[in-house]
Amino acid sequence: MTSDPIAWEQIEALLHRVQKPARYVGGEYNAVHKPWESVATRVCLAFPDVYELGMSNFALTIFYDLLNAQSDVLAERTYLPAPDMMALMREAGLPLYTLESYRPVAAFDILAISVAYEQLFTNALTLLDMAGLPIRSAAREDRHPLVVGGGHGAFNPEPISDFFEVFVIGEAEEALPALVAAWQASRALPREDRLHALLPIEGLYVPRFYRPRYTAAGALAALEPTDPAAPPTLGKRLLPTLPPTPVRQLVPNVDTTHNRAVVEIQRGCTRGCRFCQAGIITRPIRERPVAEIVQAAADIVDATGYTEVALLSLSSADYSDIRLLLEQLTAQFAGQHVSISLPSLRIDSFSVELADMLSQGRRSGFTFAPEAGADALRYRINKAISTESLLQVAEDVFTRGWRTLKLYFMLGLPGENDDDIAAIIDLAQQVRGMGRRIGGRKTEVHVSVNTFVPKPHTVFQWEALASADLVERRQMMLREKLRGRGLALSWNRYDITRLEALLARGDRRLNAVVERAWQLGARFDAWDEWRNPLAWEQAFDEAHDASFASAEAMLDFYLYRPRPTDEVLPWEHLQSGVEKRFLQRDYQRSQAGELLADCREGCHACGILQNYPGLWTDEWACPGGK
Amino acid sequence: MEELPIEKPKIQNRQRITFATAQTLAYVSVLELGLVWEHALRRAGAPVKYSQGFNPRPKMHFAAPLPVGCGCEADLLDVWLTESWTAADTLAALQGKTPPDLTVVTVADVPPDEPALSEQLVAAEYRVWLRDVTPADVSAAVAAFLEAEAVMQPRRGGKHKGTPYDLRSLVQVLEVRPAPAPWIGLWMRLEARVGATGRPDEVLKALKLADSPRRCTRERLILETPTPGANEEKDLSTD
Repeated sequence: MTSDPIAWEQIEALLHRVQKPARYVGGEYNAVHKPWESVATRVCLAFPDVYELGMSNFALTIFYDLLNAQSDVLAERTYLPAPDMMALMREAGLPLYTLESYRPVAAFDILAISVAYEQLFTNALTLLDMAGLPIRSAAREDRHPLVVGGGHGAFNPEPISDFFEVFVIGEAEEALPALVAAWQASRALPREDRLHALLPIEGLYVPRFYRPRYTAAGALAALEPTDPAAPPTLGKRLLPTLPPTPVRQLVPNVDTTHNRAVVEIQRGCTRGCRFCQAGIITRPIRERPVAEIVQAAADIVDATGYTEVALLSLSSADYSDIRLLLEQLTAQFAGQHVSISLPSLRIDSFSVELADMLSQGRRSGFTFAPEAGADALRYRINKAISTESLLQVAEDVFTRGWRTLKLYFMLGLPGENDDDIAAIIDLAQQVRGMGRRIGGRKTEVHVSVNTFVPKPHTVFQWEALASADLVERRQMMLREKLRGRGLALSWNRYDITRLEALLARGDRRLNAVVERAWQLGARFDAWDEWRNPLAWEQAFDEAHDASFASAEAMLDFYLYRPRPTDEVLPWEHLQSGVEKRFLQRDYQRSQAGELLADCREGCHACGILQNYPGLWTDEWACPGGK
Repeated sequence: MEELPIEKPKIQNRQRITFATAQTLAYVSVLELGLVWEHALRRAGAPVKYSQGFNPRPKMHFAAPLPVGCGCEADLLDVWLTESWTAADTLAALQGKTPPDLTVVTVADVPPDEPALSEQLVAAEYRVWLRDVTPADVSAAVAAFLEAEAVMQPRRGGKHKGTPYDLRSLVQVLEVRPAPAPWIGLWMRLEARVGATGRPDEVLKALKLADSPRRCTRERLILETPTPGANEEKDLSTD
């Protein structure tokens, strides 16, 4: 494979035949163009979905900045072309290229692919193939780039363990540069030895040095290291303090999903929602100091020209000094036509007050995530809010002038029954009635219902996925009742949810299924217009492991049985830092309908402090650390 | 006692930016190009005037939208500023603040009461290079097009989407011109008045050349009254 750039004329020749051609040309302000020969290691950062989504992924922004800051490393970007461009590139014999130098992805030393969520898995395979690389890591040779995966989806990478050489488990801001340095240092060695040399690096998981063993009944018995240097269990990588905020953020020339400046104000969440994976795997909570955020926001606005700054976190209103922060930011940007956005607000009057501070008369939509319709179920998932207070907060939202309220719910939660669905309907209708009374006929209530997926590393990780019949019947209940003027309902297709659950909960035996589905044309699994459900059905039939009698038996095994708490879970060797016994204890609390208070109010000994001694800093909002 | 707001003298500062786009920036839509300009002017620290209301927008107007896939050599953008900041200030401040394929050619002062650019615009000149076609085919298609009395095309959008209009009458000049290999060159001057705008891609479609790889550049916009600075260096007698 030549490392020469692809000639512009070759790319240009395809652009008049595709939708949104600007996706494929780069040219963004703040893009970094380093001379190819000036560095020792070249890293290609890839987000395996279309440009607009990939450009909005903040992890890539961080690594682009961080790696390009090193004088001996260059980092460029690539995204997955949409099907129209993909077909033209294949027809023209063009490999996947990066948007900075238009060089083939295969010419890089390292290819780091985000596997932020399960629907990206087949896209990652497509990306490897478009790059001209062997799909399976075992088939790659010395001349091929090292293929690295990372992101939340890497907390159970087993279903795609055959396609990546290494996964970064946890926060990659230190682990990725360490990996780059190690890969650089081992240049003279054969590939297998170079991979072996990665084993001592904390947070790196090299699946080929592990072998699964299954019980007679077909469950996982153990995942055993095949090399003494491979640790039997592997803790996630954790940063003691948040990394510096990238200032020279890329400014796309076309509109993207989130076309704005981003400052991560905190990482981690203390709410303890029992279904939430991010809330566990990003622990502990670390807060960036107010002064640092304000300075970063000002610097980014100067360097980008953006008119919106998004404050990124899992629960904005929980940031300790949020009011002070917003006061300082609004003062900082007064008269400059810069707006501040605060995603992920909890349901209370304090959050409404904060949003009110920021919106300066502009009232688009307000979003709440009650997740369940009735109090009892809400307590089971550890959402400590009653319907009564929720209605009070909704009233506050309408009174302050918002005219659209979005309500997010989950369906198929553990312990849910038909009454809970009736409660969602009742709640949505009450909110709509209230909205009309206060805000008039133009008020709208949007209800969005996602199907619950029991995710690895959560309190509900032992739960089963609700059946198709149950979910579809309950969706129908909602569809019948939540209609009419001022009410909108959206929901997920069950087969998409089922696929997400399968890929989230599977083990190594799924690699064959993923590969077969991809061969049959599965990709863009999250895209209604491009996904290919039939390819998956066929792959379930053709490629299910011999230990399962049928595709149904496989799905039953992975999805439709509660897993005993003593079963070895496929992700158990990868540790979030939160102890299994804490999750088990909280699971029991859930079954008893008990709430667990926000851990800012008192440490519940989840394990993160004990597992990362010595990392505690002033940025941790963990009371146990002080 | 309440203080009366101090009445600031109203500054009417309108400037015309002549700019060029190429390669990567030829593929953005006009809305996106507006955003590109807003970001660039903000990075430059130019005191751009914003509209009032809940969603303030910068006050700036293009002469005419660039078709997606078309670059330009001397397109025009009028920008209103709130301070006495000269055209030279704007030019200097924009250095290094635009994306790689956006170049500022000139910045000139414009009388604030001059009509909007879109109202002054009468025509636009395009250079279109085509590949994978033969010169004979292109010449034949051009000849046939020019000979036709009318070339009816459906409108692309707007209120009258789908209703036919005569493209031929919007094409003032259409000719084959030399181009570097492997390209075959086309050159056209298209009418560009409010409600009567010819588009190069529509011409290519009518010529049945829309499937060929192409490089399209708008060379010049022609205003009714040429304004000093923007067009004076150009030879107006190209046809």
